[in-house]
Amino acid sequence: MKKRIGFLHPILVFIMAQLAWLSLLGLWIYWYVSNYIILKQVGDNLSPQIITKGANLLALIIGLIMLVLLLWGMYLIFIFLNRQINVTRFYDNFIANFTHELKSPLATIQLYLETLNLRKVSAEKQEEFIRLMLKDTYRLKNLINSILDMNVLEQQKAALRYQVYEAGDMVTDLIKESAEKFNLLESSVKISGNGSCECVFDRANMKTVFDNLIDNAIKYTEGEFELAVRMRCNEKFFYVELTDRGIGIPAKYQKRLFNKFFRVYQADSPNVKGTGLGLYMAREIMKHHNGKISVFSKGKNLGTTFRLQFPIFGRTGNRYLKQLLKKTQKYEKEQDAGHGE
Amino acid sequence: MGNDFVDKSRILLVEDEETLGLGLEFNLTEEGYEVIWAKNGKEAAQFIRSAEFDLIILDIMVPYLDGFEIAKIARREYPRIPILILSARAGVKDRIRGLELGADDYLTKPFHLQELLLRVAGMLKRKAWYKDTADQNPVFKFGRNEIDFRDFSCVADRRQFQLTFHEAMVLKYLIDHRNTIVSRKDLLENVWNTSSEIETRTIDNFIMRLRKYFEPDPAQPVYIKSVRSVGYIFSTSEDE
Repeated sequence: MKKRIGFLHPILVFIMAQLAWLSLLGLWIYWYVSNYIILKQVGDNLSPQIITKGANLLALIIGLIMLVLLLWGMYLIFIFLNRQINVTRFYDNFIANFTHELKSPLATIQLYLETLNLRKVSAEKQEEFIRLMLKDTYRLKNLINSILDMNVLEQQKAALRYQVYEAGDMVTDLIKESAEKFNLLESSVKISGNGSCECVFDRANMKTVFDNLIDNAIKYTEGEFELAVRMRCNEKFFYVELTDRGIGIPAKYQKRLFNKFFRVYQADSPNVKGTGLGLYMAREIMKHHNGKISVFSKGKNLGTTFRLQFPIFGRTGNRYLKQLLKKTQKYEKEQDAGHGE
Repeated sequence: MGNDFVDKSRILLVEDEETLGLGLEFNLTEEGYEVIWAKNGKEAAQFIRSAEFDLIILDIMVPYLDGFEIAKIARREYPRIPILILSARAGVKDRIRGLELGADDYLTKPFHLQELLLRVAGMLKRKAWYKDTADQNPVFKFGRNEIDFRDFSCVADRRQFQLTFHEAMVLKYLIDHRNTIVSRKDLLENVWNTSSEIETRTIDNFIMRLRKYFEPDPAQPVYIKSVRSVGYIFSTSEDE
């Protein structure tokens, strides 16, 4: 089975198709040239009127157009085949990862329900069990919601709310909101640097990015939590760096960190529960902002830095940013019209 | 379950999920067991080294040391301790790896509470049975082989080595039922306490290993013979 898949590797198929196409093209030109000479000789001998030069050239051009169409068709098939293969692969991965994540809370809920069914449990214990079951029900709900959120983001069906903001203010606000959400001490988050430049943000989506990054920093810090946020504007870009003092990320995992469902599982690190979607979502959102996200870590227990890069409005990639703002306006108009009905 | 051996049993529970751990601890305590709960691999290893347990319930995906590593450590310290793996990983590969590493049973999450409790009781009962028979007849000799069932040490053809818990249990079961046919199902039910069809291959692997240890020619077994489509039979020339 594996051998067959190897043989039918899409790139190999593509190369073979290209070779077939090129030889077809060669044959066609060869056929035309050799036949042209014969036909010309025959035509000259019989009647010079029958075969004209123009008609022959037309045959060659039509033939070439057909061949180009063939190439285009092949190219389309190749692209869609590749996309389909990726979807299937992703789907298999998704099933394995996601069902695994669902099983743990489900096991807990089943255990407590069966306990209540099997034994006489004191009212006090009952209350505790119900509380624990609810906790895992929320966990299930969050898991399912994260999948739905991801879907909305990928299908680009999310509400468009891009606006121009003062970058420094925006980041400071979002960091403070996250710190409040996760009950962080004010002294544990230090914001520094200069963010006085203008960028285009979708506030709700940026909140998701910062929440995910700070949530990770908390989960992967074993000792005292500390987060340093540094901002910087240069000619073209605005940068934010979030540095924690957590367990760090080994170099070999850094590249794959933003892949969908990727999770680092190491025997000697704390087992953090998660879906493997947080950083994937962050990267997707940054892409929508025409920005970039990258990670640096010097190694084990040396902390991790995430760096976000945004284009400054009016300096770089203006066409794209203006498009975002235009789309937002259009979206808002549609929403207003929708409400008016 | 008023049996003496059940009442006194100490169980090491290795589970990092707070909510699941609490529920298991409650239920096992209600059954009359003493439960020690380790929330990660490091803790589990410490407990195993510091005290003796009658049974270990083990989750695979625990921090610091995974379940397979913990099983190895436990086997090294106490070759005879029964281990029950409780995992969300349901793949056949994981199950076989767990059983081969010396786990006695493998339950996948989500599980039925009563099934878990029955399996735990069954494993403890078998451990007691094993302890009794092993203490009565600790050393068994056949051909040029000698096995001490107290610590699973063997001398075969003057070569000295150690059996794993399961290898010893399979051999012990065959020896206890010598000259009668033992089916794969018997072995699964009595040594592993499962009746799942998937694991019959595991049995054949164990038999192959035992033959390699003890048979003069593993391809032509003298002691552990196959009975086609039924199972295995153990006999020695001294019996005849």
